[in-house]
Amino acid sequence: MNYRIFAGLTAAVSAGLLALTACGGPAASTANSGSTGTSGGAVNVTWQTMWSGNTLTLLQQMISQFNATHPGIHVTESNIPSATGDAKLQSEIAAGDAPDVFTEWNPVLGQYAANGEAESLTPYLTGKYAGLKSWLYPIALQGGEYNGGMYALPMGMNSWALYYNKSMLKAAGVSTPPTTLSQLFADQDKEWKISGGKVEQIGFYPLYQQGMEYFDSFFGAVNCFDSGGKYNLANCPGAQAEAQFLASYDKYPYSQVSALESAYGTVAGGDADVFVAGKEGFFMSGPWEGAQNIPVTNSTMSSNFGVIAFPGTVGGPSTFGQGNYNIIPKGAAHPQQAFEFMAWLSGFGNQTFISSMLPKGGWMPTSPSVAAEPAFKSWIGANPWLNVFIEQMSSPLSQTPKLTPTESEFETAEATASEAIAEKTDTWQQALTYIDNQANNATGG
Amino acid sequence: MIRFTQKWRQTRLGLLFIGPWIIGFCAFYLYPFAATFYYAFTRFTGIGNPTFTGLANFNTLIHDPVFRTALFNTFYYTAIEVPVSTAAALGLALLLNMNVRGQAFYRTLFYIPSIVPVIASSMIFVWIFQPSFGIVNSVLSDVHVSGPAWFFSISWSKPSFILLGLWGLGQPMVIYLAALQGVPREMYEVADLEGANAWQRLRKVTIPMISPVILFNVIMSLVLSIQYFTQAQVIENPPGSPGSSTMFFVTYYYQQAFTDLHLGYASAMTFLLFILVLLVTVVLLRTSRRWVHYENEAR
Repeated sequence: MNYRIFAGLTAAVSAGLLALTACGGPAASTANSGSTGTSGGAVNVTWQTMWSGNTLTLLQQMISQFNATHPGIHVTESNIPSATGDAKLQSEIAAGDAPDVFTEWNPVLGQYAANGEAESLTPYLTGKYAGLKSWLYPIALQGGEYNGGMYALPMGMNSWALYYNKSMLKAAGVSTPPTTLSQLFADQDKEWKISGGKVEQIGFYPLYQQGMEYFDSFFGAVNCFDSGGKYNLANCPGAQAEAQFLASYDKYPYSQVSALESAYGTVAGGDADVFVAGKEGFFMSGPWEGAQNIPVTNSTMSSNFGVIAFPGTVGGPSTFGQGNYNIIPKGAAHPQQAFEFMAWLSGFGNQTFISSMLPKGGWMPTSPSVAAEPAFKSWIGANPWLNVFIEQMSSPLSQTPKLTPTESEFETAEATASEAIAEKTDTWQQALTYIDNQANNATGG
Repeated sequence: MIRFTQKWRQTRLGLLFIGPWIIGFCAFYLYPFAATFYYAFTRFTGIGNPTFTGLANFNTLIHDPVFRTALFNTFYYTAIEVPVSTAAALGLALLLNMNVRGQAFYRTLFYIPSIVPVIASSMIFVWIFQPSFGIVNSVLSDVHVSGPAWFFSISWSKPSFILLGLWGLGQPMVIYLAALQGVPREMYEVADLEGANAWQRLRKVTIPMISPVILFNVIMSLVLSIQYFTQAQVIENPPGSPGSSTMFFVTYYYQQAFTDLHLGYASAMTFLLFILVLLVTVVLLRTSRRWVHYENEAR
């Protein structure tokens, strides 16, 4: 064989090998692909989540229990970073390689439903699942509905209440927690400590991160739409009251508070915050703050916090509902089995087991039936401060924002508007107009 | 005829060897470029078929206040970062070109920061410039100066990113150093004989001799600045904060493409970015004829 032929063959083989390596890839990974079929006679269902850390251990316990009690279905879980989770799901759907079940924070699900990326669950609400909708808390049901149809099932709800630091309140000379918004402002104002431009202790600062999104429901500012279905916060009395409430806190230095909150937020895998560190007087959060963050990160705070319903809310005590919801992505290989798994995760027909799991995740139940289970009641009994969270779940005043196709843009706009109020670059009126413009004119392309 | 056959064989062999590169170029550069150009004129979420919308995306871009903010922030960063980093890298290279004791040590010391991964260096900088606990503000407070909130301040966030960029000057510095080594000694000797001082030698000998390298570094710096993304995305939460002061062009593009799934709109932005970078590069190359001197150039 002469040199030229040898060189030519070498080049051809190299080109071929390189081309083949480009053909390999994600299909080889069964963990992240859609169900590849059956495993020992059972249908493989793939579940994709964006959780990490201790929660993964909890998920594995739930999966083991489901697999043991459902011999015809075998669930495997894969987790992806939350920063890229939605983008990865889009790629998987586009590639026809979607997981059977995907867990996401419910506000973004309206976009999935509007774009046809989530399967409707309504066809599955028959037979033994006919009573599923009425079994859920109303705010749990609301969080998974789009245009009147059910697209997502909750597996753990979050409700929100006001944590307070007992020792800081006492040091400020206040004997009882506030019951009105003006009392709250007055009490927290006494707790601030700012020295040499540095914030050493915070009273209450609703403008940082939480901003407008987490206070909408308390002011009757949820679902402020006009008759045409467009966002209309600028003319919504609840939104105006909320924006003015937030603006009343703009005397405190946003940059320094933001820096302090950010510093604590980057340690302990995100389980720490200024309240957990014992340097914040009041903090809006969910049950996980007291159930997980404090015991894990700073156990000395365990006996030093209390919880009250957010004071002065419109109509009476209520909460703002959100949660971790499961969807069946478009193109899922086994939607029927996926739905069965999702219903099980929500606790439907599985109340006893799920009621023992929820305390480990610091989650609220999706149904009053789960809340009535002995394991859950035992958890509440051991932690009486949780009563505030569970009571608000049943309140008719509690709301979950309606899912819309531009919910993502709306939330981004709310966060930006809150910042603009805090930094005094916008008045509260300008902030509301900004939110409406951004959410209503969201570029559809 | 025989010569033609031989030439064709050689051409064929050459094509075979560069075949993998051609395939890769077409698959990973040419096709995505053409696809982006197409999607820029459509409404597309990544799922289903794109819907042709003509110039609607570009019309929306012109009236989008966030896009204008992103353009301004990118321009601000580029306009300051490029000249400052160019001057700083050249200055460092001139210093490290001096024959002093420990020269190798100093060169290593100034180069090491540039090999730290970008995300790691971003996280380090967040803590160094942490307003409450960071070492910079601690030192400033020791001299009775109230340090700003750096990355958390609307006024100081972009300067903070510029400072972060200056920390990684090692690579352009090394390139300048290599260029300085290539300046013939005789040029300096002639300049000495003619009575030139240090500043005159720098202006009349050094800079003209290394001007092609300066041009290269400036173009690279410009292109990278216009596409500034990683550090802002990692440091600021949410990206673009505080108050949209760090919403750069690519930060906004990323938000539109991968958070809001407006792939058509994001493609229009990318296309504009391409035009912008192309224009800047062309203008720079055209104007370089006046100040860049190539060794083989006939005058």
